[in-house]
Amino acid sequence: MAYSKLKSAVAVLSICAAGAAYADKSDGTLSVAFTKELENVDSYFNSSREGVVLQRAVWDGLVYRDPVTSEYKGNLATAWEWIDDVTLEFKLREGVTFHNGEAFNADDVVFTVNFVADAENGVKTQRNVSWMKSAEKIDDYTVRINLKAPFPAAIEFLSGPVSMYPNEYYAEVGPKGMGLNPVGTGPYKVAEVIPGQRFVLEKNAGYHDSPKGQPSIERVDIRTIPDINTQIAELFNGTLDLIWQTPADQAEKLAQMDQFTVANESTMRIGYLTLDAAGRTGEDNPFTNLKVRQAVAHAINREALVSALLKGKSQVISTACFPSQFGCDQAVKSYDYDPEKAKALLAEAGYEDGFTTEFYAYRNRDYAEAISSYLNAVGIKTDFKMLKYSALRELRTAKGTPVSFQTWGSYSINDTSAITSQFFKLGALDDARDPELRDWLDVADSSTNPDTRKEFYSKALNKIADNAYWVPMFSYNTNYVYGNDISYTPTPDEVLRFTTMTWN
Amino acid sequence: MTLAPSTNSVDPLLQDIVGPTPGQQLRRRFFGHRGLMIGASVVAVLLVIALLAPVIAPHDPYAQDLLARMKPPVFLGGTWEHILGTDHLGRDYLSRLIYGARVSLLIGFVAALISGTIGTAMGVAAGYFGGRTDAVVTFLINVRLAMPVVLVALAVVAILGGSLQVVIGVLGLLLWDRFAVVMRASTLQVRGREYVSAAQAVGASTPRILLSEIMPNILNNLIVVITLEMAHAILLEATLSFLGLGVQPPTPSWGLMVSEGKNMMLFEPWLVLIPGAVLFVLVLAINLMGDGLRDVTAPENRS
Repeated sequence: MAYSKLKSAVAVLSICAAGAAYADKSDGTLSVAFTKELENVDSYFNSSREGVVLQRAVWDGLVYRDPVTSEYKGNLATAWEWIDDVTLEFKLREGVTFHNGEAFNADDVVFTVNFVADAENGVKTQRNVSWMKSAEKIDDYTVRINLKAPFPAAIEFLSGPVSMYPNEYYAEVGPKGMGLNPVGTGPYKVAEVIPGQRFVLEKNAGYHDSPKGQPSIERVDIRTIPDINTQIAELFNGTLDLIWQTPADQAEKLAQMDQFTVANESTMRIGYLTLDAAGRTGEDNPFTNLKVRQAVAHAINREALVSALLKGKSQVISTACFPSQFGCDQAVKSYDYDPEKAKALLAEAGYEDGFTTEFYAYRNRDYAEAISSYLNAVGIKTDFKMLKYSALRELRTAKGTPVSFQTWGSYSINDTSAITSQFFKLGALDDARDPELRDWLDVADSSTNPDTRKEFYSKALNKIADNAYWVPMFSYNTNYVYGNDISYTPTPDEVLRFTTMTWN
Repeated sequence: MTLAPSTNSVDPLLQDIVGPTPGQQLRRRFFGHRGLMIGASVVAVLLVIALLAPVIAPHDPYAQDLLARMKPPVFLGGTWEHILGTDHLGRDYLSRLIYGARVSLLIGFVAALISGTIGTAMGVAAGYFGGRTDAVVTFLINVRLAMPVVLVALAVVAILGGSLQVVIGVLGLLLWDRFAVVMRASTLQVRGREYVSAAQAVGASTPRILLSEIMPNILNNLIVVITLEMAHAILLEATLSFLGLGVQPPTPSWGLMVSEGKNMMLFEPWLVLIPGAVLFVLVLAINLMGDGLRDVTAPENRS
């Protein structure tokens, strides 16, 4: 009954908004909302999910990984082979042109790789590119990429964050110009960029025969709308066609209405607590004590978090990686929900009366509150601090945090090196600072033998779990809500693919 | 006519001439003022609720139950187990509302007390001494008025981190301007009165003059400003908490409750409406009370 009321309210709203431009099938424009502002469209100079979405639409990589079968297919390259452990040779696709008319050839690959691999150019996420040393041109349509050290996940990275830029244009305009007026080879051209607010994409009619498929939707109009209620209201009155990353509660309500399709898909993002095991925030930090960290792990009811808050295709996670990632051993120590045991462990550690700690978080305030409430229940009082992502990252880089609720989406790279190695190799965000882990992960990252890799990732993951450096909790899911005139099947990697969307 | 003296009853004729005592008059005006009565009783009820929160609250306001999230209130088809439903973490809404009253009233009282002390001291000093003191205080008031309260509070809380103490401190140190302005003007008015001159003439010390001659005569203005600023502080706390920079979770605060319910506003409007309505009622009651007190305590013919 409440819904029929809501519907009539919506109908009234729609009548009020009759003057507004209807974005729909009739004019071929798909209106999409982004929740967060995207700082720079240049995919090497942002680290957000929105950036990945635009990157996959505007640019292409040498290789493409089918999101369903996980099979690697040639995109800008047609064939590749390992010359030796540190050299990869690619045959490039001929006849591809960039959106500005520039022809794609070996020079573009060489320029792009050499530019991003040079740490001085400041690519935002160094791990995505730092494994490459340089590229060299063999002939116009043959290039070799030289690696710094053996790196078995190379093809995975080349199919993901490493996309090819036009050499002449990029040399001229740089990351700033690329961000304002992006040029790539991808299925969509960028027609308009208002930084942080609006991105308009137009179908690239001359798109090459790529495994991404040919785009069908003419125009995609993306606007940044931070407030979920505004997004839903716009969805109701037809000025938005698709919203995503919709919180579970709202998605559940929208799913009960007939005019929308709600699709839920898991993502590679996992949520975890990182604990200050190394004592970066002070030698006497309680979290330097293993028993305290284990108490935290036992204090949190992860099943309840998943079933009541995250819902959908989320699952409980015990490892410091996403289960589908290569090398993500699931057979590690897992801590069940046992508040009594948590209290006992705290008492053993000398904190019979608990203690007070700062608790940091940057997203999903409700999840963070629920988690901190579980900690409160066993006697760990939390001084709850919600910061912006960039501010928290800065704080963690500078002096660490005793406990913070973090998430990581691995840039949708299906390999453990994209997460575990990112955080446990003594980098600025490593709260464990365990040299042994670094050594094992180095072996795992650089070995070309899959069995050795699995073995060392497993050793590292087991140690992380035994020592409770992290308290992995759950994987995320994403809700995609769209009108019934659109058909789309989301993929588990949380990349919104406009190319595979069609009007019904 | 008997000659027995009537010791207990006053001659009605005499009473007519003498009239009620000033105390009786005040009481009569007090109880006869409807706005004041309504405001004061609402504030009193909320005060009792806040003080007795642990006894009254049906549940622990911090106990979360993720399996019973966002249960609707009774009047929207909920159960009597949770009269006002539960919030997004399954905590009892009524209990959080009751404990939230403590936060709101505490912040209102203490912030008004701090700012009242600062503002009154400055205003009375400026008004009584005049000259350079007045110039300095007037300058400080102007500086303070030039700063937008919410912006400054946001900045300070962002730097120091949000907590109950910080919010009380920040609001207490920011809201003294109206006290200073009003107290200065009232002091100027009474400074030249005969009784002040008389006190000066008999050689009373300055503190004595300020405390026993000036203060009692400007007290009614102070009371009005205190109530206004209390309401102001309560609203500002709600604003800061709504913006995530005030009282931090899991402390129940009405502003925080509005903020937490905001995301579900389209589907579960009561999450926002209930704490919003209570906040409205409290602020309205305090303002009614202040307004009434002004009417009642103002000297004759000035209400």
